[in-house]
Parts: sequence; C-alpha cells; structure tokens
Amino acid sequence: MCVYSRFASAASLVVTVAGWLLAAPGALALDLLDGNIQVHGFASLTLVNTSDNNFFGRSDDRISKDYSEVGLNASWRLMPDLQVSAQVLSHRAGGTDDGQVRLDYGLLDWTALSSEEGRGGIRLGRVKAAYGLYNRTRDVPFTRPSIVLPQSIYFERTRNLTVAADGADLYAERFGDSGTLSASFIYGQPQTDTEAAEVALVGLNRPGHLDSNPAPDFQIMYDGSGGLYRLALTTARLKLRYKPGVGDRLQAGEFKLTPVILSAQYNAEDWSLTSEYAFRRTSVSDFGPFFYNSKADGRSYYIQGTYRLTPQWEALLRYDVYYADINDRQGTKFAAATGQPGFTRFAKDWTVGVRFDVTPQFMLRLEAHRVDGTGFLPVQDNPDSRALRQYWNNVMLQASFRF
Amino acid sequence: MRPLLAIKFITSLRHAVLLCMLAVCLPARVAAAESAEPAIVAIAHPATSSDSISRASLRAIFGMLLPTWPGDTPIKVFVLRDDAPEHAAFSKTVLQVFPHQLRMAWDRQVFSGQGQYPEVVASMPEMLSRVASTPGAIGYAKASEVNQNVRVLKIR
Repeated sequence: MCVYSRFASAASLVVTVAGWLLAAPGALALDLLDGNIQVHGFASLTLVNTSDNNFFGRSDDRISKDYSEVGLNASWRLMPDLQVSAQVLSHRAGGTDDGQVRLDYGLLDWTALSSEEGRGGIRLGRVKAAYGLYNRTRDVPFTRPSIVLPQSIYFERTRNLTVAADGADLYAERFGDSGTLSASFIYGQPQTDTEAAEVALVGLNRPGHLDSNPAPDFQIMYDGSGGLYRLALTTARLKLRYKPGVGDRLQAGEFKLTPVILSAQYNAEDWSLTSEYAFRRTSVSDFGPFFYNSKADGRSYYIQGTYRLTPQWEALLRYDVYYADINDRQGTKFAAATGQPGFTRFAKDWTVGVRFDVTPQFMLRLEAHRVDGTGFLPVQDNPDSRALRQYWNNVMLQASFRF
Repeated sequence: MRPLLAIKFITSLRHAVLLCMLAVCLPARVAAAESAEPAIVAIAHPATSSDSISRASLRAIFGMLLPTWPGDTPIKVFVLRDDAPEHAAFSKTVLQVFPHQLRMAWDRQVFSGQGQYPEVVASMPEMLSRVASTPGAIGYAKASEVNQNVRVLKIR
C-alpha cells in the first residue's frame, strides 16, 4: 500500500511537471531576484525486466517499476563569491531504497579567491563526494551516459557510502591556456545511517549497526581544451566499525575501504570515449567465525563509447567488469569458504543503449544488458543466493523530465 | 551452451564496435571541412575594465566558474538557446568548446550545488540590449551587428 502510494505520488509529480512544461515551453526554470535564485528539478521513472535475478525490485520474468528519481534544488547567489544551494531527493531503488525524501546536498560555497588565472574556496555542509567522473550528479538522469551507471564503480548497492559527506570540500582550480586543472579535498562524515549501506556490508537482519569515521576523499582532474579530454584521479579512505547488537553472532569488526579510481574521457563533436579503472582494496577483520573476514584486492573497469547520431539521438556501447578480489577472480576460494556461489564475486556486463531527447526537457532511454556474474546485485532484492543465476539479461526503459 | 552464446554475442558486438568506429570517422571529417560560420565576437558591458581577454578566462567565465571581474564587479553571463546557430558558432570558434560540452559542464555544477546556469536570452537584439544595460555583463554577437553600446573583447 505504502509502496503504491509512493509510486503514485512520484508518478503524479512526473505528470504535473510534464503538464507544466507542455503548458509553458518557454519557462525552462524558475529565476528569481534577477536570476540570483534558480530553482531546478528532475523526475524519472524506469521499467526493469530481467531474465533471471532481481534488479531494482522484483524484475525476474516480470516488469518492476521500483526505480524512480525525483529531485528539486535551489541555489541563491547571495554575493558574487557566496552561494547557498540545496537539493532534496527521493530515490526509489527496489529493496535498497524506499524513496524516502532526503537532503542530497545542502551547502554554503565561498569562492575565497578568484582571478582570471584561477579560483579557490571552500564548500561547507552536506557536499557531494568526488568519486570518478559521474558521482556528483549520479542521480540526475540527464548527466549520466546510461540509465544505470557502470555498476563496477558506481554501485547502487553501497551508494550511500559515497553519495555525499557532511563536512567540508576545499577546492582549487587553475584556468590554463591548454585546460583547467582542478583539485578537491573533501573531509566529512559519510552517510552510514541508512539500512541499505549496512546490509550491503554486513548482510540482512543484523541486530548491530555500522558507524563511520569522518573520511578523506581527494580528486585531481584535468579538463583539457574546454572538455575535449578529461583525466582524473580519485582516492578515498573509508573506515567503518560494527557495533554488535543483543545476541549478535558477529563481533565488533571493522571494514576498511581504500578505492583509487583513474578516469579518462575523450569528447569529439559526435562521439565520446570514456574509461575508468578502479583499484578497490578492502579489508574485513575481527567479525569472528561467522563472517567472511578477508583482505581483498578488488578491481573494476569499464570502457564506454557514445555516439550522437543526430542532436536528439545517442547510441551507447559499454563493457563493464567487476572483480571483488583480483586474486580470486572466479570466487573459487570464496565459494569454498562460504558455500555461496563463486559468481557472486564478479560481474561482466555488456550494455547497449539508445537515448532520445524528445525535447530538451524530456528524455527517453532504452538499454539492454547481458551479464555474466551477479557481483553487483543487492541482497535485499535477491535474499536467496541459491536462486541466483550466473548468466542473465536486463532490459530497461526510462522516461525523465527536467526543468 | 550459454558461454557459447556469450562468445557469439561478444563477437557480434566487436563487429558493431568496428562499424561504429568507421561511421564516426566520416562525419568528423565533414564537420572539420565546414567553417563558413558567421564571425562571432565576445561582447561586454562598456564599463568593463579591459578590451582583451585570454581564451582560458573566457572559457572559465562561460563555464560559470569565475564570479567577478578584476575590481570585483560581479560577472553576468548571457547566452542564446543551445540550438541557436550563433551559440554554436561562438562555442566552437571562440571558446573552442562544443555546445553540448558546455551544457554538460553547467548541468554538472547546477545539480551538485556548485554553480548556476547563465541567463538565456531569446534573440540577438535582446542579447545586445541586455549586455549594454547590465553592469558586469558578458555575451556574444555577430561582428557585423555590434553597436556602440557594448565593448568587443579581443582574444589575447
């Protein structure tokens, strides 16, 4: 009932926004105070169908409607060098997110120094985490290359750990003749207060809870020739402690995650080529005998081509690979230790897709995935590991609006 | 059986990639050959402190990264719609940035709380009058249509 009413409210918002846009095609956005206050938003609905396994709700041999995004943001330029902005987001994603409205970001941005050569400043509050090329706008359909971002790097399962942090973002940019060099250092508290983040790490129905230390996150990026090519290096360090609950089989264990991501993108007029490679070192320790304590050297990478056939049509082709542990690629050791299928430790995903921009505000996307392995599937949607299948297909259709 | 299918699928995808790459080369050549676009120049409010600017600074301004002119006047950026020929010509020939790249850069900033969009004006005459009447304003115009009320910014 609750889920249906949420779906209905999301759908009615989409319809309202659509109606409003059709009624007033000139009004792209809400500008107040001579453009110093800007209000923007987006909404998307996605239908998901899989041949086996569940992705974003119950999609196995049926159509799931449990993936939607609705966001609304406002920014106010108080002074030329001072801006406040905030965005609220409802993100429904099968069993991992019920669509509860959250503050996605809410920050004060002070550009303390600026000249024709560069700028530097600080953002305070809930800031979006720098993590590869797409993380900062990962829930905004128009900024993504596909319906779902490559799951080897932008996990839906553990998104709350990397989506934003409560703290500070120190940034500096240098505008050079050949390109812009920028650096961002974020220090803040990741969001571990949601069940989804916990389940992804410790599993379903645990009585205890996870706490995180404030985490550092650093990104350096080079934007060459006005975005012709972009190169980036991101690194972060997350440390999470488990506090066991009453009658808990798990002990006070610790997770340490230290991802390093290399990103490269080339943008020609009609096509783009993008690749990212992540080294994900994870250490799981002190959880006791009823847990898979281990050190793993995870690897992820994808290569993606997009081609703009016309200004309205874009085609996508991508190969995306995830290994939970490069020293146990097929999950053989994991299977022997846990009795779980080895193919839950990797995923190789071939994706083809098309994007059709019906208007600048309304976009349709169709996407097909052929996947070997279930490494990125959340347990909430697939509670019985015996029901998982190694080879599966996934077809998605998405409609999104923005203003 | 299933791995065999996967191999066939991958092989056919490889063929598709090769075809795409071939297809990509043709329009890229054609696009490079056409350069008969109208001559577009950057224009600013007449009180702007200098009459020349580096391309890097201009890119930063139109990328909505630079908040003020030297001397602390707030910068106010005006553009035409993305599909206006003058916008495409200015982006490609003066900024040397593809218009869709500019749009992506604005989107990335606006939807992560890091910046705002430039103000979109409906026509070239409106662009000229808004830039002429707004202190700190910057925009662009056809070189043949520039009047006394705005200052032309030369690229250093």
